[in-house]
Amino acid sequence: MKMSLLAPLSVVLACAGGATFATPAAVGQPAPVFSTTDVDGKAVSLTDFKGRTVVLEWVNPECPYVRKHYGSANMQATQKAATAKGVVWLAVNSTEARHVDYKPPAAMAAWMKSQGAAATATLIDADGKIGRAYGARTTPHMYVIDARGTLVYAGGIDDKPSANPADVKTATNHVTAALADVLAGRPVAQPATRPYGCSVKYADG
Amino acid sequence: MPLLQRLLILLAAALMPWLAPAAAASTVVTTEQVRAELLAHAPEGIAPGKPLWLALQIEHQPHWHTYWKNPGDSGLPTTLRWELPAGVTAGEIAWPAPKRLPVGPLMNYGYDGRLLLPVPLTVSPAFTGNSLEVKASAQWLVCKDICIPQQGEFTLSVPVQAATALHAGAFAAALAAQPQPVATAQASAELIDDAKALRVTVSGLPASLQGRELDFFAEAAGVVDHAARFDARWDGGTWQVRVPISSQRFESPARMDAVLVQRGAVGGVRVGFAIAGMWPAIAVPASTGAEATPAAAALPPTPALGFGLALAFALFGGALLNLMPCVFPILSLKLLGFAGHAHDRRGLLAGGLAYSAGVVVSFVGLAALLLVLRAGGEQIGWGFQLQSPTFVAALAVLFTLIALNLAGLFEFGTLLPGGLASLRLRHPLADAALTGVLAVAVASPCTAPFMGAALGLAFTLPGAQALALFAALGVGMALPYLAASAWPGLARAMPRPGAWMATFKAAMAFPMLATVVWLAWVLGQQTGIDGVAGLLAVLVALAFALWAWGRIDSGRVARAAWSACGALLLGAVLAWALPTWHEAKAASPGPAADQRWQPWSAARVAALNAEGRTVFVDFTAAWCVTCQVNKRTTLGDSAVLADLDARQVVLLRADWTRRDAAISAELARLGRNGVPVYAIYKPGQAGPILLPELLRPQVLRDALASP
Repeated sequence: MKMSLLAPLSVVLACAGGATFATPAAVGQPAPVFSTTDVDGKAVSLTDFKGRTVVLEWVNPECPYVRKHYGSANMQATQKAATAKGVVWLAVNSTEARHVDYKPPAAMAAWMKSQGAAATATLIDADGKIGRAYGARTTPHMYVIDARGTLVYAGGIDDKPSANPADVKTATNHVTAALADVLAGRPVAQPATRPYGCSVKYADG
Repeated sequence: MPLLQRLLILLAAALMPWLAPAAAASTVVTTEQVRAELLAHAPEGIAPGKPLWLALQIEHQPHWHTYWKNPGDSGLPTTLRWELPAGVTAGEIAWPAPKRLPVGPLMNYGYDGRLLLPVPLTVSPAFTGNSLEVKASAQWLVCKDICIPQQGEFTLSVPVQAATALHAGAFAAALAAQPQPVATAQASAELIDDAKALRVTVSGLPASLQGRELDFFAEAAGVVDHAARFDARWDGGTWQVRVPISSQRFESPARMDAVLVQRGAVGGVRVGFAIAGMWPAIAVPASTGAEATPAAAALPPTPALGFGLALAFALFGGALLNLMPCVFPILSLKLLGFAGHAHDRRGLLAGGLAYSAGVVVSFVGLAALLLVLRAGGEQIGWGFQLQSPTFVAALAVLFTLIALNLAGLFEFGTLLPGGLASLRLRHPLADAALTGVLAVAVASPCTAPFMGAALGLAFTLPGAQALALFAALGVGMALPYLAASAWPGLARAMPRPGAWMATFKAAMAFPMLATVVWLAWVLGQQTGIDGVAGLLAVLVALAFALWAWGRIDSGRVARAAWSACGALLLGAVLAWALPTWHEAKAASPGPAADQRWQPWSAARVAALNAEGRTVFVDFTAAWCVTCQVNKRTTLGDSAVLADLDARQVVLLRADWTRRDAAISAELARLGRNGVPVYAIYKPGQAGPILLPELLRPQVLRDALASP
């Protein structure tokens, strides 16, 4: 009977250390909560969606890998299928404001609209707080949080790490598979996979 | 750039809008970020056994970089696809040692400046011709603060007879930059800090590296937290590094290769090592308990016992329940009470029968409830009551109440309204029957030896037979008490009552309080520290209220005030504590903290068996005493652990402390309905080997040794 004192201790340390990249979210652990505003200026908090399955998608419209999945309509189709089943889909752009790829909220909203995206909300995370809390490394980088608030999937959108849109047809969509497992009450068969794409454009430090 | 090439680039760009401008086939492809060229090196011409290399040379514009085979936190390695004539085959890219390329909080592994990616070719006698015609398709991702995937098609003609050594210098430099295996080097690694880090120890490194600052590059992409700090130190001739594991690890390799590079130097050494210790499963339990795993549900249950034998086992198992530390104090006091009434044979027998009826009715009632719930589709099993935190807390309150009574803090008589107290005195039979109910309530979760198999069978049987089995269990439990009440000789053998009884009674309060400690621990597993604090506060308030209500030395007004105080405090504390007694959301309970043990899943057992590994599964729960005893004794036995290690048995723990549909389904498949269950799954065998509930080291070791 090992009653670990480490768990509460690490929580204390995480709080003391602030939002660093040192202790990002782990699969099987409670997903870090966050509050921010979306591209329409509306307040959005992860706790708003208690009891629902949530998908987080790291997005940067200027990244070729993001364009692969939007240009082929793969991302939009995944979003539509998920939200139709009551899943909450949050697209997060963690590009810092000084970066050439940065899009202000209005421009980001316009881009999502032009792509026919079906995300529940699009969040601007220019200070990278949410991205660092989740350890988001690439665009796209995908996360699934179950109704209990546990992170149950972290990884790539699919298993074909390339920039070629033709690969979408033959790839296995990891997010669709994870959502199918979660909604059927099964453990996620592949809870962690390789995320691939451009680096998230964080501010230094 | 010639106009034609420019046009071709534009054409390619138009045809492949997802790629940045790349060139049509030639030996050189130039983009704004890189100049890529296909080179050949055949210093002795082309023939079987002669050295033959091809290479993609990438010259990066300042600040741009491409990636190593493990690109780190983002990026992708460069890939080469070859079209070669028959008889010529290309090997893997011989990657030069990479550099650390920090990008904000991320860390990439790759190259800048001039890079050569050499590939060795093998020529067989089947190859004929005057020249080797090579076609290559290369894809690379080039990044600065933005990333551009690029691709190039290359063709090259290498003469067979003549020597090709125009780029001999570049190839020599590239091969010198290769990380080399070192014959004298010995590397080992073990998982430490709950598999949050890997400690890698390397000795026998070349003298040129001794005492230097080394960078560690893991070749596997999905294991290491690339951006974290790696703490390394030299201890004499041994280099040791603590490599943090990524919290989003997606690989669990048994072996790893890594490249060690002296900071600021070219080249390095390549070491391989096995990883000691167990990777925790990345799996996450299902979010709803709605369904069992299909694989488990598909298999029919396999009862292992005949009905008559099961009845006998139930009877014997029930009798053993009397020895549980929680039941023993109540029972021993009741038995001692007989000594005082040895003359009243009829009264004694009636009391014994009433007690037995209480026990049997409770058992059958509980079983009926269980059957009804299961028929309604609930995935629960024996001991399910203890999966409810509120029930556990209520039991703790009850035990404290009994302990305080035994210790003499209060008498039930002074608390109960006069009518009720006299009722209890006038109806000793009701009292005896209630004692029976109490005994069942405290004993039911402890799946004593032999009960596991009998209970498992019970739930595969038609309702009437199942209930008969539970009745047998109840009769078994009531038997010693009934025997003592039926044969006065037995009762007379008990010590004479006297002043010592009061001392004995008070002493018996302590096993009761010990049980409360155990229940508080179970509650802590289920709800967390707040739930335990709530429980302890309620117990303190309860003790205060009992003391206040039991005060007889003060006047009427004072008594009423004290009683009101006690009631108010107890009410307030209960209102505060009750909400803390719901199941915690916290993800992983205790077992995950144990390095040796990994969380169980049916899929994991199947996967490990498929890999040829033997799996030992401990089906356990915090509230199961037998489980905890086995965990401390047999499963902590050093000889057993050594045996398990030597046979490379993977240890999985299925924790049933909270409700878990998958575990219930697997228990049903094994023909069991309670914990503990110990099962060995060997690869290539139809079903697992089930071990006895009271697990002895020798039994476990024999089972492991059996083919």
